Amino acid sequence: MTTQETQAPTSSGCPFTGRQKVALEETSLTDPIIQANPRDFYWTMRTEDPVHYDEKLGMWLVTRYDDIVKVLREPLLFSDKQGYEAQYASGFFEEFKQILESQGGGYFPDVIKSDPPEHTRIRKLMDGAFSAHRVKTLEPGITRIIADLVDQIADKADKGEVIDGVREFAIPLTISVICEQLGIDQFNGEKISRWSEAITAQIGRMQNREEMVENAKEICDLQNFITEQMQDREVDPKEDMISDLVHAELDDGSKLTFGEAVSLVRALIIAGNDTTATAITNLLLILATQPELAQELYDNVEDDKYLNRFVEELLRFAPPVRGLAKMATEDTELGGQQLPKGAHLLVMYASGNDDEEKFECPRQFDMGRKNLGSHVAFGVGVHRCIGASLARMEIKVAAKELIKKVHNIQLTVPVAELKYQKTVATHAIEALPITFTKR
Amino acid sequence: MSGVTITFVEPDGTEKIIEDAVVGESLMNVAKDNGVEGIWGDCGGGCACGTCHVYVDEKWQDVVGKPDDIEEMTLDMVTEAQQDNSRLCCQIQVSPELDGVRLTVVPAE
Repeated sequence: MTTQETQAPTSSGCPFTGRQKVALEETSLTDPIIQANPRDFYWTMRTEDPVHYDEKLGMWLVTRYDDIVKVLREPLLFSDKQGYEAQYASGFFEEFKQILESQGGGYFPDVIKSDPPEHTRIRKLMDGAFSAHRVKTLEPGITRIIADLVDQIADKADKGEVIDGVREFAIPLTISVICEQLGIDQFNGEKISRWSEAITAQIGRMQNREEMVENAKEICDLQNFITEQMQDREVDPKEDMISDLVHAELDDGSKLTFGEAVSLVRALIIAGNDTTATAITNLLLILATQPELAQELYDNVEDDKYLNRFVEELLRFAPPVRGLAKMATEDTELGGQQLPKGAHLLVMYASGNDDEEKFECPRQFDMGRKNLGSHVAFGVGVHRCIGASLARMEIKVAAKELIKKVHNIQLTVPVAELKYQKTVATHAIEALPITFTKR
Repeated sequence: MSGVTITFVEPDGTEKIIEDAVVGESLMNVAKDNGVEGIWGDCGGGCACGTCHVYVDEKWQDVVGKPDDIEEMTLDMVTEAQQDNSRLCCQIQVSPELDGVRLTVVPAE
């Protein structure tokens, strides 16, 4: 990869300038340097080749905001199901499937990754459980979980110990919240974290065969756990989401098949776990690196409107999900690029959120933006994140509880040394060593 | 009882008049079932996405009512388009009192 100094054309008036062009033909999203710092790559693609073919990946990267929305608004022309299947366990699928069938009770395709009308049937069943109004009722419980966690790390940090914001705060936080929702009262957080990473790796395109075998075994373990939980609710229904799913009757009078239910519980455990944890890690990072913003947050900590805008801009500024796959179901054109039927696309949500044609001075953290809610961190269209309200609530309460109790949050390593998970699907920091003091 | 009549003004100015809206249904579902342009309702009525934004005609504002705090927060994310008469139509249920209501669709994104 070569770079040359180039001034971004839209830099007028923005405090953050100096995007650097990347030689597209020599670069892939799979390159480790690009994985960690992809924004110049995104910007170069948006400027020079907005629907760019990444040879190493074998995918078309969709980078402009408008094209991203166009793809997501046409779920039949750009199939989520086909894009996902082509991505899943890429290169090792048959072996992966065989491991799950022999050791994990079966291979259960992700029912949420289907196209309309099948998708609509499932989505309708789930929508109510995640509405903003329902999530609001969960706020006290979520606050209790997070306040306890903040107390624990604050005590530790106060003794001068370095805290890993990922393993000691963000991940246990999201796991506790989702387990409470599902009704899993006895759980091993370490295990759930490993399961999450194993699932995410299947759409990350960066695992080798050895890692695939390890990950497949983790997923078997997860499915066997889910099956036990479901069997328990089958005979003894409780007031929780797993019971709801086991006994659910859909709009058309049908019930979920066993495989559909397993895939839904699996999706619920995983989907809101890694991604929300990443957002909370990003929250810690921004508080550690922008102390004036941390002070402003503290000054406004009781202002719910401020907190909501803060969370939304955090999601635009640093979206956890980098790119998810779609597939063209017929020959088509996108952003001036001819695409054949079967073209495998990676929709670059993170690039859309950084598009200066949509968001003025995108590298500036500005919660006063008038189009704040137009970001695509949760996606757009029929597959828009169902857990958005829950994720927002977790991030908001985390920001609130943390800033009320601690200050002087500092990174103990340079930002440039932070390591990211190997995956094209998300942009997740692996470890965030920080120190801070109690207020 | 017979259906309630609802008028949606689509982003290009077309008036879509729906005469058989069922009491208790959300206006977002009514719009989607009738193919009203610009009403997406991505989050399925969860008050989470802001893609069923409408302006309520002035004379209907009192009947339709104001958004609650949660809806207000979601509307606050679309401030470039937010007005005093903004509502997310997933949060409005069809009722006999709304017979004749007129709403203008505010496109998302």
